[in-house]
Amino acid sequence: MTGEHPALALRGLAKSFDGKVAVNGVNLDVPAGSFYGLLGPNGAGKTTTLSMAVGLLRPDAGGAWVLGHDVWADPVTAKQLLGVMPDGVRLFDRLTGAELLAYHGLLRGMEPDVVDQRAAELLDVLALADAGRTLVVDYSAGMKKKIGLACALLHGPRLLVLDEPFEAVDPVSAALIRDILQRYVTGGGTVVFSSHVMEVVQRLCTHVAILAEGIIKRVGTLEQVRGDRSLEEVFVEVVGGRTATGEELAWLAQ
Amino acid sequence: MAGPVTTPAAQARPVSARHFVRLKLRVMGNNFRGQGWRVALFLVGSLLGLWFAVGAFFGLAAPGLIGNDRYALMIAAFAGGLMVLGWLVLPLVFFGVDETLDPARFALLPLPRRTLVIGLFAAALVSVPTVAVLLALSGLVVTAGVFGGWSAALVAAVGVVCGLLLCVAGARALTSAFASMLRSRRVRDLAAVLLAVVAALLGPLQIAGVAAIQDTDWDRLTGLATVIGWTPLGAPWTAGIDVAQGRAWAAPLKLLITIATIVALLAWWSRSLESAMTGVASSGPNRAKPEVTGAVVAQLFPRAAGWLRRDRFGALVAREARYWWRDARRRANLITVAVVGLFVPVMVNFGGQGFSFDSTEGFTPAGSSSPVLASLSMVFVGLLAAVTLANQFGFDGSAYAANVVAGVPGRLELRARITAFSLYILPMLAVVAVVIALVLGEPTWIGLMAGALVATYGVGLAVNSFVSVLGAYSLPETSNPFAMNSGAGVVKGLLTLLAMAATAALAVPMVVAAALLDDVWLWLGLPLGLAYGVGAALLGVHLAGDVLDRRQPELLALVTPRR
Repeated sequence: MTGEHPALALRGLAKSFDGKVAVNGVNLDVPAGSFYGLLGPNGAGKTTTLSMAVGLLRPDAGGAWVLGHDVWADPVTAKQLLGVMPDGVRLFDRLTGAELLAYHGLLRGMEPDVVDQRAAELLDVLALADAGRTLVVDYSAGMKKKIGLACALLHGPRLLVLDEPFEAVDPVSAALIRDILQRYVTGGGTVVFSSHVMEVVQRLCTHVAILAEGIIKRVGTLEQVRGDRSLEEVFVEVVGGRTATGEELAWLAQ
Repeated sequence: MAGPVTTPAAQARPVSARHFVRLKLRVMGNNFRGQGWRVALFLVGSLLGLWFAVGAFFGLAAPGLIGNDRYALMIAAFAGGLMVLGWLVLPLVFFGVDETLDPARFALLPLPRRTLVIGLFAAALVSVPTVAVLLALSGLVVTAGVFGGWSAALVAAVGVVCGLLLCVAGARALTSAFASMLRSRRVRDLAAVLLAVVAALLGPLQIAGVAAIQDTDWDRLTGLATVIGWTPLGAPWTAGIDVAQGRAWAAPLKLLITIATIVALLAWWSRSLESAMTGVASSGPNRAKPEVTGAVVAQLFPRAAGWLRRDRFGALVAREARYWWRDARRRANLITVAVVGLFVPVMVNFGGQGFSFDSTEGFTPAGSSSPVLASLSMVFVGLLAAVTLANQFGFDGSAYAANVVAGVPGRLELRARITAFSLYILPMLAVVAVVIALVLGEPTWIGLMAGALVATYGVGLAVNSFVSVLGAYSLPETSNPFAMNSGAGVVKGLLTLLAMAATAALAVPMVVAAALLDDVWLWLGLPLGLAYGVGAALLGVHLAGDVLDRRQPELLALVTPRR
């Protein structure tokens, strides 16, 4: 089944807000077992695209399939295969880390003893067990990302969709998250994540897509997209960045 | 355009209240952009406000229009005093304050606190309620003008404007102070007590008022009005009448009282504002209790919900139950229901004495009510309890995404939410029914009162399940449990009214039965009410759950605060 269907397939996804086009027809095939980086500048439509892919935001047009299951027509099956960590979305943060994991586990229909065992392990590995009775709302940004990741992983999804997993995370936590994700992919899982940190993408990903102004500009394996240049060069060129001439903002010099 | 600026801007331009007002108008305008239904709701709300304002205007202008100044002072003092009390209490109880300009957003700007408070105050004045109230109270100016000519009218006008400032300053200061208290977990119990005291003050006032009306001794009432006229409650409103009735010396003193009160309230507000600006994210002291006992799943379930199965439904209920206590916004709602739910029935049932015939016996609690009145007051309590859920998804905000991602079925979701809320509310309602029946000295009424209560609560849950799915709106992510967006202000008011009206209509059979069936109803009230309430709630959840299944992403978009 993994052989015939991509882990995630997006076809013609489009969305506009109040007449402003955010995503303008995105097609994407994420092969099973890949580590897929979705790159794009701020406001490129990464979060909107991923939200539509996992069933959080209804697209104006197009569809999304998780391992061949239509996210919008057959949400129950598709969502069972999915683990999601949205960005800019709060967790149920008036719970402690342990309570939050228990909630997510039971919500996914898992057996209580399995939840107990996996949650304890996750808390331990992610160095969150010390937090004890601290509410998630009082966690630091890095801890929030880690508990979010734990919630997404708990039910053992086949596909993990992460929005900005490395945003506002300190190097130690980032290394830990990278490690866990790598192990997950080695074990046969598929990861799609968005980022604008080239260094992380270059280090982790097997496949890359560059999204700008609501459409996919480049797509392929890391080598195909990068060629013989650095990913950052390609990215800036594709997105159409500008370089400062040194004339403007002269007043910044005191 | 790129002229080099070699020196840093030497003098920052002073910021005045005008900037805040313009900012607020701009934010309000942007909220409406591209949202036709919001504009429509805003217009409907404004028209309703105007309608009431015009009615009140003629009421207050009546002494002048009729040409009888005997009751002028009384009307000004009582109506104005009630207005001030309303402004103080209603935001705490029902409507919240408009926090379009969230003080926390100004924390980083180099603004003196004085500028900030005055600016936020000026911005708070720009709203539909203030305009409506100003219009209504100008009736006092007409009255003063008829009896005292231009000078009295002028004083009355100044008084009305000052009075309005007093109302707004009082509402802001009180909600801000309560908010910072509720934010800290340590003093939440104190807050509950204080709120109870505020509500309790309404009771005696009402009883005294009813007793006074019943006395028909209007002179005594005039005496009371005179006294109120010298408190901040009545001072701004009666100054003009004083001039008209030849007590010109009183006017400056009363205006002085008013202004001193406004200044004091603003100073109070300014103090609590600081904590509102800095204590944004944290919901209390970070008390890390290292010892964690038991397995992960066991930790999620509070003791009161320990009987639940460890499955999806159980997890939803347990999480909701924890949230009703841990989320300051929800807790404020619970406290409100508890306090108002206890005091309003007391007021209604004791106040009912005023309309009974034995005015010679004076104030006796027992026998002063009737089954119909008792049922009616219980209908109100049930209504109030159920309407708390009208925006239940708004409490969650974007966190609701977790349930969407997990694909929680709509019916399960709604059933779990109602169960968790009822864990708190049902014991509370039982206490209300028993206590009120005992206080009234009519223990046999417990059945019919509990029946009316449960029935109303049940149909209310059904109605509010729909309202919460279809009419959800986002709450701002501030720590002020009374805050809401300005666009949502009108929406919330209208939806709450709509939900309450629908619930009340559905609860009418219980009251009718109490009126018609006499003694039989003492026995049948509870079982029939229970059946009606539970049946309605189940049916409502069944139907609303279907709707929820179809609009989960849309609901999520509605409750996600726009940034």
